[in-house]
Amino acid sequence: MELEYLEEVKKLLHGKSYKVVGTDVKRVDSLEKVTGVAKYAADYLMENALRIRPVRSPYAHAIVKKIDKAAALKVPGVEAVITAEDVPGENQIGYLVDDQPILTTKARYVGDIVALVVARDERSAWEGADRVKVEYKELPAIFDPREALKSDIRIHEHSKYAAEVKIVKGNADEAFRHCDVIVEKTYRTGSQDHAYLEPEAAVAIPTGARSVNVIGTTQNPFRTRHTVARVMGWKDSEVTILTPYIGGGFGGKDTYGPLICCLATLAAMKLGKPAMIVYSRYESFAYRFKRGPFEIRYKTGATKDGKVKAIQVNHLVDAGAYATWSVGFTKRAAYHATGVYEIENVTVEGAAVYTNNLPNAAFNGFGNPQMLFAAESQMDLMAEALNMDPVEFRLKNALVPGSRTGTNQLLDHAVGIKELIQKVADQADWKGKRAQYGSEPKGTKRRGIGVGCSWHGCGTTGFKRDWAGASVIVNPDGSVSYSTGIVEIGQGTTTSHAMMVAEVLGIPFEGVKVDVNNTGTMPDSGETHAQRGTIIGGTAAVDAALKLRKRMNRLVAEMWECSEDDVAFENGETYNLKSPKQRIGFQDLAWEMYMKGVPPAEYGFIKARRGFPDPETGQGDPYAAYTFGCTIAEVEVDLETGQVSVLRLIPGVAAGKIIQPAVAKGQVYGCGMLGLGYATTERVLRKEGRMLNPSYTDYLIPTIKDMPEMADLVVVEDEYKFSGFGAKGVGEIAFIATPLAIANALKQALGIRFYDMPLDMEKVYFAIREKKRNGSRS
Amino acid sequence: MKVQFKLNGRAVTEEVEPYETLLDFLRERLQVISVKKGCDEGDCGACTILLNGKPVRSCLLLAVQMREKDEVTTVEGLSKPGERSVIQEAFLEKYGFQCGFCTPGMILTTKALLDAKPKPTVEEIKDQFEGNLCRCTGYQQIIESVLRAAELKAGRS
Amino acid sequence: MEAGVRPLPKMNYVAPSSLKEALHLLKKYKGKARVLAGGTDLIPKLKKRMIKAEVVIDLNRIPGLSGIRMQKDGLHIGALTRLAEIKESRLVREKAPVLFQAIGVMASPPIRNRGTLAGNLCTASPAADTAPPLLVLNASVRLQNTDGKRVVPLSEFFRGPQDTVRRADEMLTEVIVPVQKGRSAFLKLGRRKAFTLSVVSVAAFARVRGGKFEDLRLALGAVAPTPIRSRKVEEALQGKEANEENIARAAELVKEEVKPIGDVRASEEYRREMSSVFTRRVLAQVNGRGYNESAI
Repeated sequence: MELEYLEEVKKLLHGKSYKVVGTDVKRVDSLEKVTGVAKYAADYLMENALRIRPVRSPYAHAIVKKIDKAAALKVPGVEAVITAEDVPGENQIGYLVDDQPILTTKARYVGDIVALVVARDERSAWEGADRVKVEYKELPAIFDPREALKSDIRIHEHSKYAAEVKIVKGNADEAFRHCDVIVEKTYRTGSQDHAYLEPEAAVAIPTGARSVNVIGTTQNPFRTRHTVARVMGWKDSEVTILTPYIGGGFGGKDTYGPLICCLATLAAMKLGKPAMIVYSRYESFAYRFKRGPFEIRYKTGATKDGKVKAIQVNHLVDAGAYATWSVGFTKRAAYHATGVYEIENVTVEGAAVYTNNLPNAAFNGFGNPQMLFAAESQMDLMAEALNMDPVEFRLKNALVPGSRTGTNQLLDHAVGIKELIQKVADQADWKGKRAQYGSEPKGTKRRGIGVGCSWHGCGTTGFKRDWAGASVIVNPDGSVSYSTGIVEIGQGTTTSHAMMVAEVLGIPFEGVKVDVNNTGTMPDSGETHAQRGTIIGGTAAVDAALKLRKRMNRLVAEMWECSEDDVAFENGETYNLKSPKQRIGFQDLAWEMYMKGVPPAEYGFIKARRGFPDPETGQGDPYAAYTFGCTIAEVEVDLETGQVSVLRLIPGVAAGKIIQPAVAKGQVYGCGMLGLGYATTERVLRKEGRMLNPSYTDYLIPTIKDMPEMADLVVVEDEYKFSGFGAKGVGEIAFIATPLAIANALKQALGIRFYDMPLDMEKVYFAIREKKRNGSRS
Repeated sequence: MKVQFKLNGRAVTEEVEPYETLLDFLRERLQVISVKKGCDEGDCGACTILLNGKPVRSCLLLAVQMREKDEVTTVEGLSKPGERSVIQEAFLEKYGFQCGFCTPGMILTTKALLDAKPKPTVEEIKDQFEGNLCRCTGYQQIIESVLRAAELKAGRS
Repeated sequence: MEAGVRPLPKMNYVAPSSLKEALHLLKKYKGKARVLAGGTDLIPKLKKRMIKAEVVIDLNRIPGLSGIRMQKDGLHIGALTRLAEIKESRLVREKAPVLFQAIGVMASPPIRNRGTLAGNLCTASPAADTAPPLLVLNASVRLQNTDGKRVVPLSEFFRGPQDTVRRADEMLTEVIVPVQKGRSAFLKLGRRKAFTLSVVSVAAFARVRGGKFEDLRLALGAVAPTPIRSRKVEEALQGKEANEENIARAAELVKEEVKPIGDVRASEEYRREMSSVFTRRVLAQVNGRGYNESAI
């Protein structure tokens, strides 16, 4: 990714304005989705496919002593019961830490899978699962990370910690001594369920004795492929993952994709027949890995001129039973702990600890919603202490081009946050509303306005693999076939890729067809997460298209005996800039390539432009670039019931070049509602490791009537030089900022600050009552 | 047991078990896969079909409840091959979908709404859609798609 | 046994074409059969094995069981009348507006297109939203079996959570709602703005004459083992000035009458507090002042 792709592209296009990129096109998946022919994993129904039902531990911590399959095998229709000893390869699906078996002999969370029942139909599979007799030796269990640190109970032999991270920049201790204002608070954030409409599913189809095709709900076909191969004891090349349409991911199918595909494959290969597993909604809620709860102790110090000089942060994360992605989000939270501000002295220490709760894993924001809740609440508290307006205070400390982050990464460009904050504040009439709500007559409903700023590094956290591939093929008839390793999970990224390819090749958007994700025809492209689909995946697309385009330029230059630099491609035609009458249609040019033996296809491959921070000091460049967000929220709270209504959201993003404006807007709207849910109505209720509300009835995601008024999206296009067209990522940034803004708005409305999420109505009600009883006035 | 009804205008006759839901019947026996199983207990709307023009949860109906004169509509029935209905055009134009899983339910609910109320207000749209969950879009562009569909249906552009 | 939804159990199905036939089937199968009306509660519960049934008796083919008719003693609403139909009915809107109000914020349109009033009452969730309105209207239900019919006041119908006085061989065939002049209102508290179960629900009916409450009735849902009438509040306000002070005092009293539980939706204490808040609000709506607030 060392090439300055933005510049390359602009040069190639002779500085002309884009014809495709930045416009609104019909997404490549639109037709299939609105006509209902789009197939998701569970739609690949095959007549002879076996059905699978897991047998799960009812205990949070227990050793599996014996599994009696006899009664289950007697159920008509049941063909096999698979347990740990039947795993042909390595019984290991650990994501970053090798601590997680696919079929376990020691249950570490309620729902840990100990066996699979495979049957000819769904009903028999359920009955078979009921009849598998498992003898457990129950062990004492731990559900609280603080307790886990003190306890002798070992969930894993190798460590109590699933992850640790440390950041040291400057000298925070020393700096605090010179601060005029210091605020230190402890924050707690709850879990959250992805609650996407499509439950997890996978179907595995044997294609030979040592080969399988798997169609499953995954956000990472290549990791999935590798994990399946590992479990089977095969090579990567022997497993093919064909990714279907995905009905919502948000990170949930990132961690869970490999798991569900392994289950299907084990069954299919054991019996030599296609096998399908589809989770029920209950399973999806009760057993799929969710957002990790954080406890954050955050200390901020500033001088009286309003400059934040130091922060000291300690965060403790409940990793749950297996590490899965804890390394990632514990580190990401640390790298972003400063918030969008330049702070010279930073100390962060974080750890994720094993408990017998459900493993916590990837979810939109990935540690940032938690950490930035603390950071942005602190900023408001500091502003209060310094008697400064919250927006003014943020502007005074915001990152600018040339700033260094908490990990000492130099951000020399693509830093649009300051401009963004100002624009969003203007759009929201911040000063006016802040004054208005601050002085409204006190009735039973109170309003407030608050601001939240977010940032999110684009790219995979925690380890060095952050690459992507793409393939562009010009067919003899001039149509273009494009393939990527990035998955379409609803975010429209593959359309962005196709647009960028079309722009570079100078053809109409409709000329590019995006093919199905097939791991067999694409280099490993990493995961579809962490806002990397466009900035890294898309740059691979541009890489391929550029290489191909340059080759075509050379061919044309030879044909016309002109300079390569004078060759222009526009609207499906190629012409000589110096002598425009010299033209050839793209179709004819394609044919020429074949006739002349000029390779008509190209692969792109990009490795993200970033390093791997020092393990002791956390200093380094963990991400290629950062997207910035700022949301202002207006809320109304009902003092008699504690209900918090979000009246209006004014979102803004600085995400580099926006490839698809309408799609970016859609992302932001969706993220706004996700944030609203996280901040107000969504609670994961647990007792001793068991989820108490595993249904849409009791896990409340916002309905259409819970919508606030959404203001027009504010956009700052702070282009990133090293990505195709200067795009960064936009999939998570608007979600992260939303709950922060809501919490700060609630403070103005109520005069009470909450230090834990969510701000659910009971909690708010009792806090109001407590305040009244203590006689304080707001 | 035998069940007979009209699906998207065509007569269907099949043998079914009495304990098969209409949802499973449509998906597994007839491969009508546009009807989705999001929760299988009536909470999400992904399994929405139109029964005699009214939106209902197909996961809460037994296939055997269908009678000969009952008309079941799914998204497949909204357009002729090669031609799209105005509702589908509107959802395309206004980006009324992202992952697409809730989309068939949303489109059918739109049809039911516009057939009863050709010029719905935003409030009326929200009333009609309150039982259809979407996790991706935040609903904004769905509302815009419904309004656009109303425009197209009325012949305005 | 794994919880959650699984394929329906193997069961038999009959679809009688007359009420007489249905009642005979009920008698024949007694506890082993369940009637299927809207299915919006029965089907999920069967899937989750919360209810067992060997036979499902589909009532949907029986003519004459649905419909809303005005008779001398009030509105007669047939058992199989869909909630959506009740909501659309001008008769209901005019003669029993509080019922219309409650249905409007209950469940969601696709559920209401199939769910029936009888079903909502027979399912007997303590949080059934149609119950408080019908209780304040002094509604009754007609229960029938092969031996005959009986009419039971709704206030005597509920026995406990999911438990009513309906015998296993009886069917609820009609709800009778007396029509009376007065103000009425329904409010519910939910954890989100739509398509949600009530944390607390209240309904009130009153005539206000000369500024005083006449014939005040108050009912609450989701705060006791059954939907209840709050006799204490009614007695305290009967004949009294319909003013803020009296209402506030009465709203405090309601806390003694409710018996809420703590569950995933709310704690006991919160429900108790909210029963008071919403009692005050709903009484304020029927005392002659604010009438147009949204119900949720």
